[in-house]
Amino acid sequence: MPEWKLHIRKRLAGLNLKPESEAEILDELSNHLQDRYDELRAAGATHDEAFREAVAELDGTDLASELQPSEGNTPQNPVPEGAPSKGQLFSDLLMDLRYAARTLRKYSGFTAVAALTLALAIGANTAVFTVINTLLLNPLPVEKISTLTALNTTQAKKAAQLGDLQALSFQNLKDIRERTHAFSSLAGHSSPMAVTMIDKADPHRVFMELVTANYFNTLGIHPYLGRFFLPDEDAKPGAAPVAVLGYAAWQSRFGGEPDIVGRTIKLNDVPFTIVGVGPKGFKGLYAVFGPDLWLPSMMAEQVLPAQQQKALSDRAVPLFTGIGRLAPGVALAQAQAEMKIAAAALQNEYPDVNQGQSLIVRPLTEAAYGPERQAVVFGGAFLMAIVGLVLLIACSNVANLLLARATVRRQEIAVRMALGAGRARLIRQLLTESVLLGLLSGVLGFLFGYAGCQLLLSLRPAEYAQNLADLRIDPVVFGFAFAIAILTGLIFGIVPALRSSRTSVSEVLKEETRTAGRRRGRFTLASALLGGQVAVSLVLLVVAGMFLRSIQHQYTIDPGYQTKRLALFMLYPGQAGYDRTRTEQFYKQARERMANVPGIASVSWASNLPLWGRKETGVVIEGQEQRKKSEAISAVVNTIDLDYFSTLDIPFVKGRDFTPNDRDISAPIAIINDTMAAEYWPNQDALGKRLQVPRGKEFLQIVGVVKTSNYQSLGERPQACIYLPLRQNLSDSMILYVRTQQDPSTVIPSVQSEIHQLDPGLAVEDIRTGTKVIDQALWWSKIGVELLGVFGLLALSLASVGLYGIMAYSVNQRRREIGVRMALGAGQGNVWRLVLRQGMTLVLTGLAFGVGFALLLGHALSRFLYGVSASDPVSLGGASLVLLVVALVACYLPARSASRVDPLVALRDA
Amino acid sequence: MAAAVEHEWKKGSAELLILSLLEARPHHGYEIGRLIDVRSGGTLHFHVASLYPLLYRLEKRGWIQGRWVEKPNQRRRRYYRLTSEGQRVLAAQRRKWREFAGAVGRIAGVEHA
Repeated sequence: MPEWKLHIRKRLAGLNLKPESEAEILDELSNHLQDRYDELRAAGATHDEAFREAVAELDGTDLASELQPSEGNTPQNPVPEGAPSKGQLFSDLLMDLRYAARTLRKYSGFTAVAALTLALAIGANTAVFTVINTLLLNPLPVEKISTLTALNTTQAKKAAQLGDLQALSFQNLKDIRERTHAFSSLAGHSSPMAVTMIDKADPHRVFMELVTANYFNTLGIHPYLGRFFLPDEDAKPGAAPVAVLGYAAWQSRFGGEPDIVGRTIKLNDVPFTIVGVGPKGFKGLYAVFGPDLWLPSMMAEQVLPAQQQKALSDRAVPLFTGIGRLAPGVALAQAQAEMKIAAAALQNEYPDVNQGQSLIVRPLTEAAYGPERQAVVFGGAFLMAIVGLVLLIACSNVANLLLARATVRRQEIAVRMALGAGRARLIRQLLTESVLLGLLSGVLGFLFGYAGCQLLLSLRPAEYAQNLADLRIDPVVFGFAFAIAILTGLIFGIVPALRSSRTSVSEVLKEETRTAGRRRGRFTLASALLGGQVAVSLVLLVVAGMFLRSIQHQYTIDPGYQTKRLALFMLYPGQAGYDRTRTEQFYKQARERMANVPGIASVSWASNLPLWGRKETGVVIEGQEQRKKSEAISAVVNTIDLDYFSTLDIPFVKGRDFTPNDRDISAPIAIINDTMAAEYWPNQDALGKRLQVPRGKEFLQIVGVVKTSNYQSLGERPQACIYLPLRQNLSDSMILYVRTQQDPSTVIPSVQSEIHQLDPGLAVEDIRTGTKVIDQALWWSKIGVELLGVFGLLALSLASVGLYGIMAYSVNQRRREIGVRMALGAGQGNVWRLVLRQGMTLVLTGLAFGVGFALLLGHALSRFLYGVSASDPVSLGGASLVLLVVALVACYLPARSASRVDPLVALRDA
Repeated sequence: MAAAVEHEWKKGSAELLILSLLEARPHHGYEIGRLIDVRSGGTLHFHVASLYPLLYRLEKRGWIQGRWVEKPNQRRRRYYRLTSEGQRVLAAQRRKWREFAGAVGRIAGVEHA
């Protein structure tokens, strides 16, 4: 038998077949050749003839190249239409991607416009999401945050509400820790409090938190450098002056010096040794505002202001928020139940301070925003919705561009279909293109988002920027941008892809591109998208307008005192180690020296900053003591020096101001505001009546009634307020109020140098003018309005570019029709009207819908608006007008080009 | 030129031919080649180099299935049979071919009147 296999193997060389399949092929083919040989021999051929003829069977075509595709994955013949493609996803995807990249490059103008449009929207989304991710979704870099809880005191009667959460006293916290089992670990931390830090030379104001030694362990975090507190360091009052520095403070205040551990700093004139640096990104448990350093709770007396110095022993001084790690297997409700029992026990044992109080346990995630949680959540959701709408506009814009371009590509698509591409396959190809475009925009958008975040960060007030939350661009944000890019690609790509792939092959191939007129359906969809864009942009503009007007109104609110000629200096003489006499002397000397500085009209001291007043509960009114504790009276309490009311222009209703004769040896007195007078002495004269402030020991006689002003926020509901004379209620941290004759910023340097001359060791860092106080109070709203404005304008510009694009495209498609009309006698004016009518009909329809939506939304938002009605005509009219003008311009340009159509050229070309 | 055209025609119809031959009963490769030769009166002839790659392709697509069969006193041979999917494809291809041939016939005027 001839050696067929030799001949066959020669022709299989280079195919890299698997040995077993090669053996089979050799077997089968040599069988065939042998059969042929036998047959030829039987017919009478010689061996040579038969052999030659049989081997010739192997030629004819190139065996190797014929076998190649059968061994690979792609069949050569086109798959029947609609046949499922098996095992080709990957290679097809690569092919699609290459093709898509080529297409995007080819239409580079389109790609640039579309990518930029999307990138702006994706950038806005990324930036807002970064804020939400930082503040809401993942605020604290602690271990297993789901089992961490915050423990607070609350009024028993109002346990259901979160309105008035208070801290726990140190003694109560200690008792709870010793008596209960719901928590595997219970720590405590104070809120951030200002102290004066002296490092090398100048005093600075920094924020510290007092924490129990197990605070960091409870949270499950580890120091970046050094160590945290040892149990010994938090056992005896005043024994261990050590501090843990925050990472951000270490970076900004100490330049990240590696030998920081072991360094001694002075806080309120007490030397502290730094023993460690906290982990990167950890700024305490309030998501928004965090401390620069942490001190052991046992150092309370050394750093706290005089009123709170007994915090460790006095059960009436609330200072710590409890942080509990739930014991394994204990649910929040169980912990809450145990705390209720513990609260009842504490109330029985110490009725005078714990009367009417209960305990509330909340998940730490919820507690992390303090009372602002609702506002933060609402603001975040609202902004997210807004940028979502902007993204929707961008998507519909790009979808419109794609629809317009689909007409240009109809021929290409038809050819692909004629060559056997199935509809599903085509849709996949087109979607690959749009997703690739989406990803491209995603990359660009991510960069925009990053820039946006930097911009937002730069808007933080510089005085305490490092204490505010940082915006973290973490993998979650990256994943969000990535997901949104892909989703965007699918959203704007799906409808055009579905439509394009419905192209009828024969119809298109017969036509010439130029005459491929628009089809009604396609234009209707584009119009609907465009109308929607107009509506959404109008809504955004109106909302931005309303909030802008609202904030304008807030600026015109009269807070009840003058702010234009006011400068404020925060000073903490107690923190420089002053005793009582020296403090008193300092206040007096400072006032006397300032009074002589040119440009200063009057000077006073007060314990409260404007709009930063804190309400205190437990005011007792003589003759009305029978009230239950749960109905305790609360009021803002402000300790003030002489001339306070004249410095701030707060008028007297009746009675008199404090005088130099009201001293610690004379009868204790107070001044109240007219709100308080009307509420507790209705139809009576409040003058001469007596009251007791919270934790006060004696009754104070009311000697004057002044007009009510704003104490906590601008435009607030009138609140009760009690003013105490400084000379009868010495405090060691006060604010110097300076009334100037001119612009307050001009006297700031001279005031600073006066204080420096009095004592170079006093920190005068927190300096504000009265208008800045108002600015700061409105800071959040201002940022919000600015963001809204930016997004509204972004939406408007996207919509107008879209309008322009679609009008220009439509005019181009109708050139021939316009040419015919002009040839038949239509003038330029008629053409103008034709195009403008088409465009403006769309715009007006969208506008009508937009006004409707804006009215609805305005009602939903009305409680966040100040002095602006839900259907504010100025915002509605202004926004509509802006939109109309922009739309007119967008239609004007295509209309102009339409009116210049030369009928001859248009008809000839067609 | 003529040869090239014939080559393309052959390629286009080869699948149909093989599937039809296997419809009645399984055959091995040599039989398939002979049957095409004989039944077409020598007009169509497949070389080894084009027949087997085609068979492998059809097998890969799951339209036919090959199996080694050993019979006493004979070499073992690979027999191909039509799968159920192959049957469906054959029916579809027959219909298309009829349409195509009819259309070409009507246009080219080769169909008998």
